[in-house]
Amino acid sequence: MAGKTTTPIGLPIKELEINAERVASYLCERLRRYVFEYAGKRGGVIGLSGGIDSATTAYLTARALGPEKLFCYILPTSATPQRDMLHAQSIIKMLHIPEGNYEIINIDDIVRMFADRLGVDSPVIIGNIAARVRMITLHAQAAKRDCLVIGTSDKSELTIGYFTKYGDAGVDVMPIADLYKTQVRQLARYLGVPEEIVVKPPSPALWPGQTAESELGISYELLDSILYLRFDAWLSEEEVSSRLGVDIEVVEKVMRLVKQTQHKRQLPEIFRLSARSHGSDWRYPREWH
Amino acid sequence: MHAGLRSGRLRVALAQVSTRIGDIKSNKEKHIEYIERARSEGADLVVFPELSLTGYLLRDVAYEVPQACRNALEEIKQFCREIYAVVGVVWEPRPGIIQNAAAILGEGEIKCVIPKYYLPTYGLFEEARYFMPGDPQRDLRIVGSGLGAFGTLICEDLWHPEPAEALVRLGAELLVCIASSPLRGLNNLVEGRTWIDHAWGSILNATALTHTVHVVFVNRAGPEDEEFFWGGSRVIGPDGVELERCRTMEEDFKTCEVNLSENARARRFSSFRVHLREFHSILSKL
Repeated sequence: MAGKTTTPIGLPIKELEINAERVASYLCERLRRYVFEYAGKRGGVIGLSGGIDSATTAYLTARALGPEKLFCYILPTSATPQRDMLHAQSIIKMLHIPEGNYEIINIDDIVRMFADRLGVDSPVIIGNIAARVRMITLHAQAAKRDCLVIGTSDKSELTIGYFTKYGDAGVDVMPIADLYKTQVRQLARYLGVPEEIVVKPPSPALWPGQTAESELGISYELLDSILYLRFDAWLSEEEVSSRLGVDIEVVEKVMRLVKQTQHKRQLPEIFRLSARSHGSDWRYPREWH
Repeated sequence: MHAGLRSGRLRVALAQVSTRIGDIKSNKEKHIEYIERARSEGADLVVFPELSLTGYLLRDVAYEVPQACRNALEEIKQFCREIYAVVGVVWEPRPGIIQNAAAILGEGEIKCVIPKYYLPTYGLFEEARYFMPGDPQRDLRIVGSGLGAFGTLICEDLWHPEPAEALVRLGAELLVCIASSPLRGLNNLVEGRTWIDHAWGSILNATALTHTVHVVFVNRAGPEDEEFFWGGSRVIGPDGVELERCRTMEEDFKTCEVNLSENARARRFSSFRVHLREFHSILSKL
């Protein structure tokens, strides 16, 4: 049934199971190399929301770089639930982040200043301003400390465009972005993220009471299964619908989200003039010596 | 065979369309609309650009459109009883193998499907990642016979001398080249034209002159992602003189009467009759 958050089927599908131990050690090694060797930086900066993605990323980064090389910022607004604040603080404690490596900065004033000066009152626009204020804050901290901003996006949210362009997606590297949300949960449990954070309903907390699944109208178990079968297994929409026993309209709705948000996953379009532009034919490696 | 194609006096329609990427349904409707228009204007042959049914920069969508292309061709061919059409499609000759191809429709049938031989994989292009190239031994052919025989090539194929030469030596009196040529060189014009327009002009004129055939070039128009197809479709006579030209940078539709018997007259002023096979035997060993 389209629009329902609970789906009475045995999801997520078995293909979404990961070997969390292998994944964790691989990602830690990749992250360590990226920060220290490729970028030549001293450490990583993470914005902690108290949710599963930033918690998992913090656990992973602490393990990869060492807790003394990790800088955590809790950047709440009045829309941030108290429970998320407690969770974020508990992560700092459990990861033994040293004094001076973390800070709570309430960004309400900054967000309100933007909203007032720009004359906006829409919760969505203000929510996006908050996400971008966090981005600015994290980059300023990273520059101050000669660090990279470590992104916390997961594959589910990236694929359907459930993020703020140049906000939470405005980072230097995204270590867990090839893991769907249900896979992040497996990795989180392996890394020792507290269970109450793992099972808490995901929310961007851009406005009070917001939860991802109610906003999207489908559970992450179903979303991930659809995305996996459509894109990883590369089945047709009809095949996905029949394999999962869900209405084709649900699959089509997810596909609409993916297609409509394609621009959010790409660099801005450059209108071609020359023989070589900074687009499809600018094919140098990221690591360019 | 249609009367115009049989006699070699035919009206060619250049359907310089813009295409919606991956939207076969609306592209198909546009094809039918242009075919009907060409037919009503007395055209014997209507030519669409490369990958006109699908769009060019398909990337991974390329794998998902062949069935829709086939279905669309089945529908479009119904409108090709009194007219021939060259349509750009993604063709799947066997499961999982796809080609960038030209479908020739006529007499209410899909007469043949001719794949592209030279797949550009440089600069912005990545065709060889997706498509299987055509095999000249198997795929090279002309449609029709006598004065109205024509051969079809796709874009990059004309940037190599052999495909055009082979088609003409097989008997083609008209070369049809369909293209999705993206704009390059608007930043430094050559004789008032973009570099790519200038380059294509040189190749098209040289091809017509060298082989003393009529050449029909139909290019896409309009944007697709960061690219922009520049149009400039045209017909060139066997003396290298342009007979008709579409606008650049926008959709256009033109028809042009060609008399293929003029090829014979042009050959009196060329050495087309001379063909030294030894050059090809050398080439085949290089």
